[in-house]
Amino acid sequence: MSENKTAVYVCKGCGIGDRLDTDQLANIAESEGKCSLVRQHDFLCNADGVNTIRNDIDSEAVTHVVIAACSRRAKTDAFGFDDVAVGRANLREGVIWVRPDSEEARETTQEMADDYVRMACAEIQYMKQPEANQNAGTHKTILVVGGGISGITAAVESSKAGYAALLVEKSGQLGGWAAKLHKRVPNSEPFADPQDTGVHDLIKLVEDDNNITVFLNSTVTRTSGAPGQFSVDISAESGDTVTENVGSIIQASGFSNYDANQLPELGYGKSPDVVDQAQLEELARQAGDGPMTRPSDGKEIESVVFVQCAGQRSEKPGHLPYCSGHCCNTSIKQAMYFKDTNPDVDTMVMFDDLRTPGNGEDFYRSAQRKGVIFTKGKAQQVDAANGQLQVNFRDMILDEDAVANADLVVLATGQVPNSGVDIEATAAADAEDESAESESAAEDTQEVSVSVDSILNLTYRQGVDLPHLRHGFSDSHFICFPYETRRSGIYTCGPVRRPMDIAQTQEDATGAALKAIQAVENAVLGRAAHPRSGDLSFPSFRREGCTQCKRCTVECPFGAIDEDEQRYPVFNESRCRRCGTCMGACPVRVISFENYSVDTVGQQIKNVDMPDEFDEKPRLLVLACENDAYPALDMAAQQGLEYSAFVRIVPVRCLGSVNTIWITDALNSGYDGVMLMGCKKGDDYQCHFVRGSELAHERMSKIDDTLQQLQLEPERVVTHEVEITDIHRVPTLINEYAAKIDEIGMNPFKGF
Amino acid sequence: MNDVNTTMVDKYRNDFLKEVEENVEEGHWVKMCMQCGVCSGSCPFGPHWDHPPQEIFMMIRAGKRDEVLTTESMWMCTSCYNCIVRCPRELPITHIMHGLANYAHRLGIAPKMNPTRRFSAIFWNNITKTGRVNELALSLKLYFMDGFGNGVKKALAMKKVGIGMIKTKRLNPLALVNHKGVKNPKELHTLIKKAREIEDRRKGLAS
Amino acid sequence: MTDMVATNETILVVGGGISGLTAALEAAECGKDVVLVEKNPSVGGRVSQLYKYFPKLCRPTCGQEINLRRLKANRRIRLLTMAEVTNIKGAPGDYDVSISVRPRYVNENCTACGACSEATSVEIDDPFNYNMKKTKAAYLPYNMAYPQRYVVDPSIIGTEEADKVKAACKYDAIDLDMQDRTMEIKVGAVIWATGWQPYDAAKIQPYGYDRYANVITSVEFERMMDPFGPTGGKLLRPSDGKEVKNVAFIQCAGSRDRNHLTHCSRICCMASLKQSTYIGEQYGDGADAKATIYYIDIRAIDRFEDFYQKVQADEKVHFVKSKVANITEDRDTGDVVLHGVNTEGYHRYDNAHDLCVLAIGMQPSVRADEIAENVAADASGFIQMNGADTAIFGAGCAANALDVNRAVQSATAAALRAIQVVNRVSSAEA
Repeated sequence: MSENKTAVYVCKGCGIGDRLDTDQLANIAESEGKCSLVRQHDFLCNADGVNTIRNDIDSEAVTHVVIAACSRRAKTDAFGFDDVAVGRANLREGVIWVRPDSEEARETTQEMADDYVRMACAEIQYMKQPEANQNAGTHKTILVVGGGISGITAAVESSKAGYAALLVEKSGQLGGWAAKLHKRVPNSEPFADPQDTGVHDLIKLVEDDNNITVFLNSTVTRTSGAPGQFSVDISAESGDTVTENVGSIIQASGFSNYDANQLPELGYGKSPDVVDQAQLEELARQAGDGPMTRPSDGKEIESVVFVQCAGQRSEKPGHLPYCSGHCCNTSIKQAMYFKDTNPDVDTMVMFDDLRTPGNGEDFYRSAQRKGVIFTKGKAQQVDAANGQLQVNFRDMILDEDAVANADLVVLATGQVPNSGVDIEATAAADAEDESAESESAAEDTQEVSVSVDSILNLTYRQGVDLPHLRHGFSDSHFICFPYETRRSGIYTCGPVRRPMDIAQTQEDATGAALKAIQAVENAVLGRAAHPRSGDLSFPSFRREGCTQCKRCTVECPFGAIDEDEQRYPVFNESRCRRCGTCMGACPVRVISFENYSVDTVGQQIKNVDMPDEFDEKPRLLVLACENDAYPALDMAAQQGLEYSAFVRIVPVRCLGSVNTIWITDALNSGYDGVMLMGCKKGDDYQCHFVRGSELAHERMSKIDDTLQQLQLEPERVVTHEVEITDIHRVPTLINEYAAKIDEIGMNPFKGF
Repeated sequence: MNDVNTTMVDKYRNDFLKEVEENVEEGHWVKMCMQCGVCSGSCPFGPHWDHPPQEIFMMIRAGKRDEVLTTESMWMCTSCYNCIVRCPRELPITHIMHGLANYAHRLGIAPKMNPTRRFSAIFWNNITKTGRVNELALSLKLYFMDGFGNGVKKALAMKKVGIGMIKTKRLNPLALVNHKGVKNPKELHTLIKKAREIEDRRKGLAS
Repeated sequence: MTDMVATNETILVVGGGISGLTAALEAAECGKDVVLVEKNPSVGGRVSQLYKYFPKLCRPTCGQEINLRRLKANRRIRLLTMAEVTNIKGAPGDYDVSISVRPRYVNENCTACGACSEATSVEIDDPFNYNMKKTKAAYLPYNMAYPQRYVVDPSIIGTEEADKVKAACKYDAIDLDMQDRTMEIKVGAVIWATGWQPYDAAKIQPYGYDRYANVITSVEFERMMDPFGPTGGKLLRPSDGKEVKNVAFIQCAGSRDRNHLTHCSRICCMASLKQSTYIGEQYGDGADAKATIYYIDIRAIDRFEDFYQKVQADEKVHFVKSKVANITEDRDTGDVVLHGVNTEGYHRYDNAHDLCVLAIGMQPSVRADEIAENVAADASGFIQMNGADTAIFGAGCAANALDVNRAVQSATAAALRAIQVVNRVSSAEA
């Protein structure tokens, strides 16, 4: 490695040259920033400007580049130099666009720009162009856990792209629930009739594919490692265990049927002629194309009532609060089983809201054409009397109580995800045991859970399975990035993510296969996966300084850090998503990234020119999340919204990476206040590192003690949740805060 | 209960929907309704219906035979076709309403005093008698439908219109005695009788 | 950009909305070369015009920022804006594609400083705001627009205004001589992600969208909440600017209707439930304001049910099970009067509202059978997967009426299908 050589380029375009003394900026870079090569340019992002930088890199051996021009979010095409470390001093969106162009503002505006150049020069000294993790794995095989339709699809699609797959199925055969279906809901024009499930063709594909290895009667009994280098034990019922190396994992553990025994009011368990949808599939398969008969006495079924939302969409204890999505179409399909065999069988679907989205509407119409009757009604009670079932219900249209007689009643019950152990509830329960507090029992643990066996048996410090979201489904970011789980290289698909039907499951499994492939491709190159895809840095850790406090291992949103026997953290670089939460957590600051560290930020904070108390120029530090708050600030600037010249804004990867040392150092070195801007936390979190904002809020809530020790007002440190659209709000927050600090008065530590 | 009605009740027992499908004009569309209610809201006579179309369809499915066939609701339909135009399922609702009314009438259980039903009967008898509408006879019959006193009142109220029509030769007072029908009304009667027989046989209404 | 290199191992992604962006990024992050073609001057598509996403009520631009950062960082994606695919010929692993590119009249020198925009007073309809607002004839399509580069509207080309705009630019970024151009590229597989368009509301005659100012569509309502939208983020009705305190939502406006779109557009129930929360957001929870949702079935599928239950618990939101028959206008007040029957028991209503929002149906922007040979369309024109011999894969709302979460899944799956094809090509050539 050759020596560092830093070059600073000060752009004069977009009004920077008119509004600021760029010579002074260049001088600061040279003298204070100690940068050997400093150039000014009228229009840095044009071809000439870019070539100038390029030439310096190539012929002057420049290794570190500071671009003092516009926001780091702007002109990325022009300033994308992949082979050097690049820092940006934001003089346009960060300074001139947020300040009035007036004589009285000139001095403070220039001071702002001066500081941003100082800060950028300081940051770059501590930045290294990251080199990829040398411990990257080499394995590209994909492990698929679950041999139902989602798992099979994931394996087949992975193989089609050229990746070997291991398919582990708990039972003795592939196919899962789909293989137990008589037929499936159609997925092609004219969406009119039930169609063959296609499961057997899929199973055949698996069996004929040398690239897919199937383990039946087997479960995953241990998973360790990281993307590109997972090691898994696959144990057969017989007790035989093999250990395999895989690059990534798809969890397709599917669902279990809701236990209809919890619905005695709907007759389940009281009469064998009340069945759930799964049992009806069995009856249909037994009957083949012939008429179905009643379980109780073998009488040919002449009338059926389907009760939708049985034990679903209900707040009652033991019921599922959500909608399982597929059941309306499934009941329609099952009613067609009867109608297609004998049009004279009475079939009634009793629903609250009929939910047949997309082309399901065609299927609904087709059923009506076949004579299936749809009644908007609420089933209240199912009784057996005189060899028949009586469904007592409220007819919502005719607004009256009514009774429907039927030979058979089918309850459309829901899907319960097989998401393994609820590790957060377990952790909470453990914590509860430790602290002997009894009131924090999570409500969610009351919910129906069918399986408490672990699916993956992860050897991770944070627990054996993926974290759950509401209602026990596996976690995901849900809207923009539905595949992102909180365990790198492990993706879920199918009904374990959310309730779904076969068509959606297959689509979902195909997408999950892509993510699994992407994970191994990134892992073998030592690169980060989403959302910092391509980032070659990884956390490095100075063991000597570590106090084994466990904060990093507990707080990592992605479970990337384990502990060794001596309770030192063990970083699994390939599991890391580079959010820096560990860095923020560490009280002794022994964790850092090559391109982002306690120093790269800390030095920026230190390297401002701190006016003394009597200058009446306070300094306010703003640490802004780079995904939401910082773009909002940029856009406020674009709109010409002004804010105080006393703030110095430092973008951070995630508020979770904010180390409290930055706050205390800032206050110790004379800043009059510190403001944190992170994104929305809580259940509907927007934080793309899941818990970053939440953790920052927690940490800041504890900083009051420190402030009191310093005899500083707690109001000097504030934390805000900011959305990317808060374009008007962010300058207001800053200005109100500046006014508040003005009220409180200057920090007495100035000049010490 | 009259005979045809009893026959149909026996034949379809609990399955009124099937009865409607097989015997009511366009009745096979009833099952396609998805209870959105746009027909009910679109009817200009809406407020006067006991049971609007969408509700009638639900009642049919619920097997409410007597309530449906004896209601005056479908007799309210004025054939404006608003409902047909708007129905998202393309049900020919107007035709179904007329079909239901006609069926109820055929079964003899339609509301006896419903003015639309009575007008329809008068009109039918008038036109089938000679093959051409005798407008004067039709008007008089309608005026006196509710008794002599009412008839005189209505006739007096319409006096001006009537005289005007006579003056412009729109109305021939002699038509009362000298109405010109088709050339051979007997053949027409045979034809209608035959058509009725065919329909009854098809619908199983023949007694 | 002109000498674009693409081979039969390249993946073409058509459409730069959430689905196309996702497909392009996911494929590129697997190490594949991607050409991303977007018709508009910037990527982001229809979701960038949304105020909030259901069910988290978070901001679409938040996820977009991440995607843009991925895009900026990825050297494998070549982005063409103002470009449309005009022809695709060939077979899987070997397609010849024609692309036509409209002139932006602004080159890559643009710094987005905004001087050009200030230089002109000519205003044009702003498509980003569904033409409910004007924008300058030299404009940045929206705050988050990427590429962050201005556009000069063709309507001023050849006029003095264009010269003014050009003169204002210090960076030689305005090029008034730009012409339409076409390019031919070779690709191995195509991901078609051209998304959806709102059904033409004027065709739903009884609702009077073309006659009554205070009948608008759900996509237009969405723009009202944006502080940079036509009403500056206030719920003000179009006829007289009065605050909207009593809003009606009509579900299935165009959808589930054999006279219009036969399919269910899936998102509209959730969209209206979401929009009903805007009332509380705008006026506060205790305010005297209400929303009424007229529906046939509320289709809050799977985990969205939580959101439905949350809205049901809101006293300001009312539900009427009814397809509204027709709308009339009260000429004195400007109110819209909804007529119909609540079918839960048969209750007629003639309800006056300040504003009526049509939860407008979704139809594909491009009908599948117009894309290329061997691309199958369903009855609504969405791309159908039918196992035909094609490597043109539908993604997102070009393939089905989908919400964002499902569109992203669909796009991710489409990326894999395309990768399977180009990987076959590369292994055959290896």
